Parts: sequence; structure tokens; C-alpha cells
Amino acid sequence: MRGKGSLLGKGLIFGLALVFCMVTGVMAADTIRIGVAGPFTGDAAAYGDNIKAGVSLKLAEINAAGGINGKKVELVWGDDLCQPKEGGNVASKFANDKSIVAVIGHVCSSATLAGMPIYVRAKMPVISATSTNETIGKVGQGWFFRNCYTDDFQGRYLASYVVKDLLGLKKVAVFHENNDYAIGLKDSFMAGAKDSGLEVTGVEGFVKGTTDFTPQLTKLLRDKPETIFLCGYHLEGALIAGQARKLGFEGPLFGGDGIDNADYIKIGGEAANNTYLTVPFLADAAGPEGKKFAEDYLAANGREVDWMSANAYDCLGILADVIAKVGTDRQKIRDGLAAMNSAEAGFEGVTGLTYFNEVGDCSKPAFVKKVEGGKFVPAN
Amino acid sequence: MFLQQLVNGLTIGGIYALIAVGYTMVYGVIQLINFAHGEIYMLGAFFAVTFIVGMGMPFYMAFFLAMLCGAVCGMLLDVIAYRPLRQSPRLACLITAIGMSIFLQNLAMLIWGSRPKPFPGNTLPAWFNKTWHLTHFSLTGFHLFIFAVTIIMMVGLHLLIKKTRFGKAMRAVAQNKTMASLAGVNVNKVITLTFAVAGAMGAAAGLMVGAFYNSLYPTMGYVAGVKAFAAAVLGGIGSIPGAMLGGIVLGVAEAMGAGYLSSLYRDGISYGVMIIVIVFIPAGFFGVLIKETKKSI
Amino acid sequence: MDQKRISNATLLKIGILILALVLPALPFVSQYFLHVIILIYLYMILALGLNVVPGFNGLLDLGYVGFYGIGAYTSGLLTYHFGLSFWLIIPLAFLNGALWGVLLGAPTLRLTGDYFAIVTFGFSELVVLFLTNEIWLTRGPLGLPGIAPPSVDLSWFGGPVWEFQGELPYYYLAIVMVLATIFVMQRVQDSRLGRAWFAIRDDEVAAVSCGINLLVYKVIAFGISAAFGAMGGSFFARWVTFLSPDMFKFWESFLVLCMIVLGGMGNIWGVMVGAAVLVSLSEILRDLLSALGLPVEIRFLAFGLIMVLMMRFRPAGIMPIRAVAAQMRAGRVKRRRAKATASG
Repeated sequence: MRGKGSLLGKGLIFGLALVFCMVTGVMAADTIRIGVAGPFTGDAAAYGDNIKAGVSLKLAEINAAGGINGKKVELVWGDDLCQPKEGGNVASKFANDKSIVAVIGHVCSSATLAGMPIYVRAKMPVISATSTNETIGKVGQGWFFRNCYTDDFQGRYLASYVVKDLLGLKKVAVFHENNDYAIGLKDSFMAGAKDSGLEVTGVEGFVKGTTDFTPQLTKLLRDKPETIFLCGYHLEGALIAGQARKLGFEGPLFGGDGIDNADYIKIGGEAANNTYLTVPFLADAAGPEGKKFAEDYLAANGREVDWMSANAYDCLGILADVIAKVGTDRQKIRDGLAAMNSAEAGFEGVTGLTYFNEVGDCSKPAFVKKVEGGKFVPAN
Repeated sequence: MFLQQLVNGLTIGGIYALIAVGYTMVYGVIQLINFAHGEIYMLGAFFAVTFIVGMGMPFYMAFFLAMLCGAVCGMLLDVIAYRPLRQSPRLACLITAIGMSIFLQNLAMLIWGSRPKPFPGNTLPAWFNKTWHLTHFSLTGFHLFIFAVTIIMMVGLHLLIKKTRFGKAMRAVAQNKTMASLAGVNVNKVITLTFAVAGAMGAAAGLMVGAFYNSLYPTMGYVAGVKAFAAAVLGGIGSIPGAMLGGIVLGVAEAMGAGYLSSLYRDGISYGVMIIVIVFIPAGFFGVLIKETKKSI
Repeated sequence: MDQKRISNATLLKIGILILALVLPALPFVSQYFLHVIILIYLYMILALGLNVVPGFNGLLDLGYVGFYGIGAYTSGLLTYHFGLSFWLIIPLAFLNGALWGVLLGAPTLRLTGDYFAIVTFGFSELVVLFLTNEIWLTRGPLGLPGIAPPSVDLSWFGGPVWEFQGELPYYYLAIVMVLATIFVMQRVQDSRLGRAWFAIRDDEVAAVSCGINLLVYKVIAFGISAAFGAMGGSFFARWVTFLSPDMFKFWESFLVLCMIVLGGMGNIWGVMVGAAVLVSLSEILRDLLSALGLPVEIRFLAFGLIMVLMMRFRPAGIMPIRAVAAQMRAGRVKRRRAKATASG
């Protein structure tokens, strides 16, 4: 243990420890600090960008109007890479920062699930714009709220309305990603399909990061489905669309909100046309507030608004509303959110009326849009 | 469906073969599993996209230039990372290889971002998109292009190894470095050039995959690299015809497995094959011939 | 050898131990800080476990995360489905890890180093695939949420049931586990087992000629390494209370390998230093990069670079094992003497 080696080792630890302590110090500020958790880098960064754009727009409006009760609002970003482990780290950081009064996030259900126990223990109210997994409400134990619909609702809606009524088709092939979002969506779709009398000709799964879907598609197409359910996110969806067309499939494709992203059209190209998808927000179908929001968004970000941004915008709006009424105590904020449990006590935002049930879920309508001529258009 | 799966399998198989050959060539000359080879495959794709989008080059030119860059990257890898460790124990070389792999992956993320990118549309030659719908399967021009390139490269490599002086030098170094050096072969130069050839082929494979499946991302080399390595092992590591055959067999097995059995364990098929082959027949298909003549130090 | 006098090294170790014990009471220490220190302890356990195979035996194990995952899921599933006590789970996970270590090691440890490395890598990837796809067992990508924290149940003699809350109880538990691991590693190192391993590492042929059965000793080493990896995993599961298969990717194996390479392969204290340095570096880089607006994943670039540079310039690590350190010192002395005679 003698000699230069151990000295170098000791010096390194000491130096690192010093920098470390400085880095973990807490800053005090006279603003209202709200944590925003999501994937701001990594594969899912597109979603994080959407959330960022949405809350930033609302933040600008709030602070321009003088803040909440005179205090400006400050956002603290936590990058969770859409991964449970990072979600836990971010949750730990937010929970232990006494100056943060509430958290908007996370984006991915798996990260939210990882963070919720930490938030519950630290008594931190959390509101998510995008986490749609069924089980979060239970794990949240009253501290979790969301203003997006759950996958249970979306799956059934896809089966009963989109496939049966809108498209008028019966034979469906299901191609789902093997992750929490897609499996939940697939299960509720299958239940809905059974109730609606649809015939599921085949179910295949893929893991994240697959780029070659031809073997599974060949298998699914053998049974001659009339439409394919792209049960996953836009990236794989676009690749599947392209490869399905190459294999000769000409029918319509459909998917859930995971497909809703400009990259779907960009990557899918021609093959992306004739795809239908359900989304929680559609600018064309929204009220005057929604339309104004869509215009402001386009002006500020140079791209069309998407449902994640709209929900995130409303999340901050809901929080601002509640904080203005009850102040900055975490428990009080949670109680304020829980008190929004009926249509009268709900929040009217760009995405419509939001109010929560006893586990923090809300029921919101879904809209359908489709890809036509290389653009998203409403489907009715 | 069988014929379509066969087409699918031969396509992926050809790609695996191109990458596998790179692994096996390098292993043959310096007995090192070049973990960073997958990253050269990835860089080939990214360089090509950069050339096409950033400099407006036509496809074929970008293709050749990307191969050239792959060769250069391979040489740099050898000179910078592996050559200084020629005399070091194997563990050090393996760790360096992994370190370079991680480094290059993240470097690519830094330069090009970690989000998957599409291959620039409409830059591929028009005949790639022409589709023939035959009775039991479909085929596109791109499929044919991949088959053609794969076959040309395999034949070219075979000729290189068997008919040229360089090929002879490579075989000599693979057999016994000391004796080759005594016979007048510049061992270091041969090794570096081997890396160059391996790199060029890997880059070509990466470019074709990126374009064909329309998705490029910095970690694409990781999984493809492991599978190609499984293919090389299957064929007998150190044997070039073995790697070619191993690649095709693995590709077809994967397509058939994903098509007929479970699509979720698709990657698992490669890992499983690799483990079984290594444990029970470490010499692979053609390895038996090589094992006897290889020296053990 | 003065065995009576307490050496500087021992004093330092005692000092660090005291510091570790009183750390939570210090003023600048937040829950987040404790969280990271616990992470350091966890990785120390993992590093010590992995150290057995490349460090003591000279074999490259690329699949360590497989055992980590097995231990974590053993712990998580037993808690989730049966509510088993953590104190019972630790030995169960330990044994399960050892079992899989032996099962994997027995057929594969007779292979040469390269092939063994690849097989371990394939194994860990298969473990992840299995955890992801066998949803009926592991809930796959849905993950295992809400794993109960450990609790001390004294109700059998009328005492309270006290559940772990906050980071503090985990902190002290982690210290105990690290100390236990160090103890075992030191005893093993000084035993016949350890000496046989070092013989294998330094020269297999010579070891065989001394009558050492290579396969048996290698399998024991692999089993022990796997057992400690699983033990670390079992702690991890009940600490973060949420498990998901993608937490056990190859990257974790690489990270732990980095730690032992950086710290000094084979040196118990070295690998602990390596763990501390890399985890801290990871957190600091994370903050630094997000402050600079750069993507956070780039910090892994630094790790790859560190590995390459370490292998090139100081393959023995920051704190090399005694034998290598002695060689390095001898080399330095020789060079100094050569320089002196040349210039004198």
C-alpha cells in the first residue's frame, strides 16, 4: 500500500469528493421551482423536446403575466433518458431538493414507475402529461395525476371505433413492441377487438432497436390481414410501414399516440401514407384556445404542435392554477389536485376539460388523424 | 412464406458475412477479437450519409468513399490502439478493444446525435426501388444490389488472399509471425493493411444496412457486431470461407427462427448459436484445418 | 516485518471507516449525496466480486451483469410474490448466483480466454432477453414496481416492525455488506484457494504441474464471483424498489470492469478506489454535461477513453497488486541507478 500508486489513489478520491460536495449543494432562490422530468437526450429525446416546448410556452406566459401570486416560476430539468434507473436518480434528486414543490413528468411510463415510490416517500405531487401505463395510478398512492388518457381506454377505442367504425375492417394483424406501453396497449386492444367482433389474424412482437422486421412481417402477411396495428413508437412504426409496403401490403395501417411524431412521416416516406392514429389532442378539432395555442406553438418552435406539448402545456397550467390557490406546500398542492375530481372543479385547458378520479387518472376524449399526402390530417 | 424468409435470410446473411470476414481476418493475424469492428460498420453508414447530405455526392461515389474511410479508420484503430499493445497480455488487448468500441459509439453520438436517422430519401439509384412480386415472394432492386455487392466482395477477397503477394503475406503472418518476419515480411504493415481491408468491407456492410432498413444510429454496430462474431465463430474463427458461410447460415437461421419460432428471441438465436458452437465445437465448420497449423504463443 | 506497529495503510483504512460511519451526520450531506454514496458501496461490492475472476484468476468475464440481474430478480420476485424477508433473501440470492456461476462455468471454463469472454458475454445477453421476454415470470418490460423495502421484524418477541425509510438505513446496511465482502475477499486471498488462483493467473502450465486442478479452482472462482454479484443485485432490487430488464445491459458489466481496471486488477483496495472514482466521475460528468448543455451520455466516452489509456500506460491500475507494484518499483530503481551511473 505504499508508494506513488496509493497516493495517487488517495489524491484522486479526495479531489473528486471535494468537487462532488460542491456539485450537490442546494441553491436557494425566491422563485417557485417545478421539476420537469423526461428524456432530453438519448433515443427518446424527441418526446423530451415536445414536453420542453410545451411547458416553456406556458412558462413564458405565466412569467410575463407576473408569475404566480407575484413569484416567478422556474423550471428544473431532469434528464431520465426514458430509462427506469435514470428515472429513479432524477426522482431522488427532485425529491430531496426542498425547493421543488411539484414535478411534471415523467414522460415514459417505465421511468415514472421507477420514480413514483421515491416521490411517494418524499410526499411530492407528480403530474404527467404522457405516462399512459395502467398501473401507475395504484403505485402513486394518491400522489400521481395525469392529464392523458390511459392505454386501457386507447386500446379499446382503437378496436371499436377506428377499426370497426372508421375503417370498417375485420381482420387485423398486431405487431407490438415488447415494452410496457405497447404491451398494455395491445392487451386492451385485444380485449376491445373481442368485444367488437374483430378477427386478430396474428400477433408478433419485436424488441426495441430492431431495424429488420421482414421475417415477422412475412409471417403476419401470410394470413392476409386487412390492416396492421403498429403497436409501438413512431420510429419502429415507420420502418415497419416501409418494409410492409415492400413486401406488398397495400391496406391501411393504424396505431396509437406513440406513432404521433413528424419523424414517422419523415422516415416512412411514401409508405407512411394511409396510416391512422389516435391522439389525445388535435389542433383542428380543438376549441379557440386550442387553435391559438397551436399558432403560438408554431411561431415559437417552427413545427406543428403535437399532443405531448399540448398536454405538457396544460400540466403546467393546472399546477399554476392549484399553486395560486393553495400555495407552495407539497401536501397542499396534492390535496388541491385531488380536489379536482368533478367536471365543475376541473381545469379547462387547450386539451379540453381535465379532472381526476381517485387514482389520479382522467378521462379525456381521443381524436383520430391520418397521414395523407405526406402530412397529418384529421381523419373524419 | 418459406421462400420469402429465405430471401430475407440471405440478405441479412450476406451482411453478416461481410462483417464476419472482417473479424476473422483480424483474428487470424493477431489473435484479437476486434470489438470495435462493429463501430467501423456504423461509421461507414454515417460517413456515407454525411457525404451525401453534407457534400451532395451521388450514391455510388459516397459508397466508395465510405469504404475508403472505413479502411482508414481500421488502420488508425490498429496503429493507435492495438499496435502499442502487441507485446501485452491478451486481457489488455481485449479491454482496449472494448474501450475503443465504447469510445467510438459515444463519439458518434456526440457528432451525429443519438437519435436514429433515416437514410436521405431519393438519393438511392432508382432501380433499387423497383419491386418484383413473384408468386411466393417479393424482391426489390436493393436486394439484388446487396447480393451482388456481397458476392463481388467475397470473390474479390478470395482472389486477394489466394492470388496476390499481399494475400500470401497475410496467410504467412496468420500462421507464424516470427517466421514470416524472418522470411522478409513486414509484419506490422501486413497487419495494418489487413485492418484496412476488414474496415472497408465492414463500412460497405454498414452503409448498405443503413440504407436498406432506412435507419442509422450510433449503437447499430453493437448488435450487428456480436452477431457477425457469432457467424465468424460458427464458421471457424480465422477461416475466411468459414466466416462467409457462417454469416449466411446465421442470417438464414435467424430469419427462419424469427419467422417460424419466436420473433422475440431473434437476437437470442445468434447468442445461443455462438455459445453452443464455442462450447461444443470451438473450431467451427472450417476451423479444424486452421487449428493444427496455428502456433500457440 | 514489523507486525506489531500499525502501518500507515491500516490507519488510513480505519480513518476512512470512521468517516463513513459518521458521514450522514455531517451538515452538507443531503439525501441525494447519501444516495450516490450508497451507489458507490454497491459498486464496490460488485467490483470486489468481479475482481475474483480477472483479478485473481486472469480470466476476462464480460457477463458479470448477468449474475447481478439474476440476484436482483431473485430478490425482487421473491419479495413481490411471497413477501419474503430481506434477511432471508440475501443468502438465497447469494446461493442462486453461485449456482448459476457454477452451471455456466463448468462447461465453459476449459475454453481459452477469448472464447470464455465471448461466452460470458453471450450468457449475460441471454439473461437480459430471458428477463425481457418471459413476461409470465418477470413481468418483462413492464418491470417489477413497488418492491417492498427491507424491514426489521422484531414482532416475534413483542418488538416493533421497523421498515427501511429514506436512505439512512440502506447506508448502514451497505457499509455492513461492503465490510463483509472485504472480509471474505481478504480471507480468501490469503488462503490456499487464493494462492492457487494466483498461480493460475501467473502461469497456467506451471500451476498444473504443481498439481492444481485448473477447472475446479476456476469454477469455484467463477461461482464466488457470481454469488457476490447476485448479492449486490439483491440489495439493489430492494433499494430502488423497481426492476426492469433494461437495467442489466452489457454496459454495467463494462462499467464494473472499468472500475477494476482503473483501480488495479487483483488489488482489493484498488478496485474499491476504482469504484469510488468512477461512480463519482459519472455523477459529476452528468451534472457538468447537463450544465454545459451537452448530451449526458457522452460521459461514457470518457470511460472508454480511460480504459484505452489505462491499458496503454498503466495496465496495472492506480493501485497495482503488491507483486506488480514491487516490480514497478524495482524497475524504477533500476532506471534511476542506470541514469545515475550514466551521468556520474
